[in-house]
Amino acid sequence: MNVADLVFSMLAISALLSVAATVLAVQAKDLLKAIVFSAMQSVAYTLMYFLLMAPDIVLVYAAVAVGIYPLALVLLIKKVGRYEV
Amino acid sequence: MWRDIAFALALILAIIALAYATTLRGLGPLPPDNLRNLAIAYLKTTYNPFKPLFTAMAPEAVTAIIWDYRGLDTLFETVVFYGAIIAALTLYREVYKERDVLPLRGLSLIVKRSTAVISIAILSVAAATALHGHLTPGGGFQAGAIAAVAPLVILVVFSKIFLESRGVQYTKLLTLRNLGLLGIGLTAIALILVGLALGSNAFIFQNQAKELARLSYPSKALDVPLGGSLWFFNLFEAIAVAAGFTLVFMVLMSSEELAKREVVGEEHGY
Amino acid sequence: MAIKIPTLMYMITVLSLYVNIAVALYAVLAKPNLVKKIIALTILGHSVNTFAILVGYKLWRPGIILQPPVLTELEPSRRAIEEFVTRAVDPLPQALVLTAIVINLAVTLFLITLALHVYRHFGTVDMVKIGELKRGALREEVS
Repeated sequence: MNVADLVFSMLAISALLSVAATVLAVQAKDLLKAIVFSAMQSVAYTLMYFLLMAPDIVLVYAAVAVGIYPLALVLLIKKVGRYEV
Repeated sequence: MWRDIAFALALILAIIALAYATTLRGLGPLPPDNLRNLAIAYLKTTYNPFKPLFTAMAPEAVTAIIWDYRGLDTLFETVVFYGAIIAALTLYREVYKERDVLPLRGLSLIVKRSTAVISIAILSVAAATALHGHLTPGGGFQAGAIAAVAPLVILVVFSKIFLESRGVQYTKLLTLRNLGLLGIGLTAIALILVGLALGSNAFIFQNQAKELARLSYPSKALDVPLGGSLWFFNLFEAIAVAAGFTLVFMVLMSSEELAKREVVGEEHGY
Repeated sequence: MAIKIPTLMYMITVLSLYVNIAVALYAVLAKPNLVKKIIALTILGHSVNTFAILVGYKLWRPGIILQPPVLTELEPSRRAIEEFVTRAVDPLPQALVLTAIVINLAVTLFLITLALHVYRHFGTVDMVKIGELKRGALREEVS
């Protein structure tokens, strides 16, 4: 196996992980779990951006989707209610 | 219930159709195997001292595209961002200027001390990312997004009253944000003003010297490439983005007593 | 015709991005809670951005080592620039996706503020219950 095969295989594995995290996030009744699963999916996407040679986007994405979104959403569910039904 | 099933079936049909089209090379050969001509044109002229009339003098192609080749797109994107922040603040227009009323204490001592150390590190990383955005991956937006994490964490760990009593108030942040946007506007037309004084032409968003307008920003600072106007754009954009996010977080975190004053009377329908 | 590993893995990546977009779109349409809708909207935006950069990964020939679009020589000769052009990845989708990420962030923060306002007015964030409350209020006004 040469390097190109390895890079593409890592891309496919991160993409499959992100599908699993998305499906789990959508069907969770506890909204805190949904937020944590969406942060996991963002980490998988950050790995994909790094493999696709886009370093500017890795910097923005790590700060925004793993830092700001979960913080703001956790503040929101503290005020409106943690469970879905 | 029937509606949900109809949505699910429609989406599954869409996925199958798109997947079939992609396997038949609808997106081109996979993985793709040559570069577009537009990309070749940008990459050839992004740092090319042999063609001084077409180059942007910045080794980083993405920052050069954002602020030089497609500068007007970024200007309007900053306008959209400003509009969204204003819309979020208008919902609380009765209460955003007032100081908070609840006496809050924040979290425990250990958390407070470690947050104080970490937030200095976050702010210095953000400053570094903004200032070297034309040489290595980095830039204005990246630095603004990184620098917006620090006030959010400080707002949660210490309290909003602590921050307001230390001088981080609504009006001061608004002034900072307006200064950032003013800086972006002035950098875009600075060469026109200089050209008026010296009596020659200039273009809007001009970075280096062009054929009909021989004025340009400095392209090297001592011996390091300074991307011309890109350095100034990155600096002002980082200040504007960080101040904008902090404003929204401060309004989002007001206490319930203060925010209930905003909703009084709405059941009568205005 | 033997399928090579890079082609197969690339197809798997594209298909899983399609599935992500479809699942997030379904959650926006069919789940009644406002916060769940906001979470699914952010997942949709991120998946579309990743798809744009995946399609823009346009330069793969076996034997070339790829490079992000940053020139690393500060005194380049003409040959260095030609070599950079043959090895660098497309920079244009990265610039467009940067703009898209910042705009999505601003709009999502506005949506979070709106959801808070809806909660303070109606007392709940469940769209089914809000519909019933509004229909009840309308019947009261008419009668």
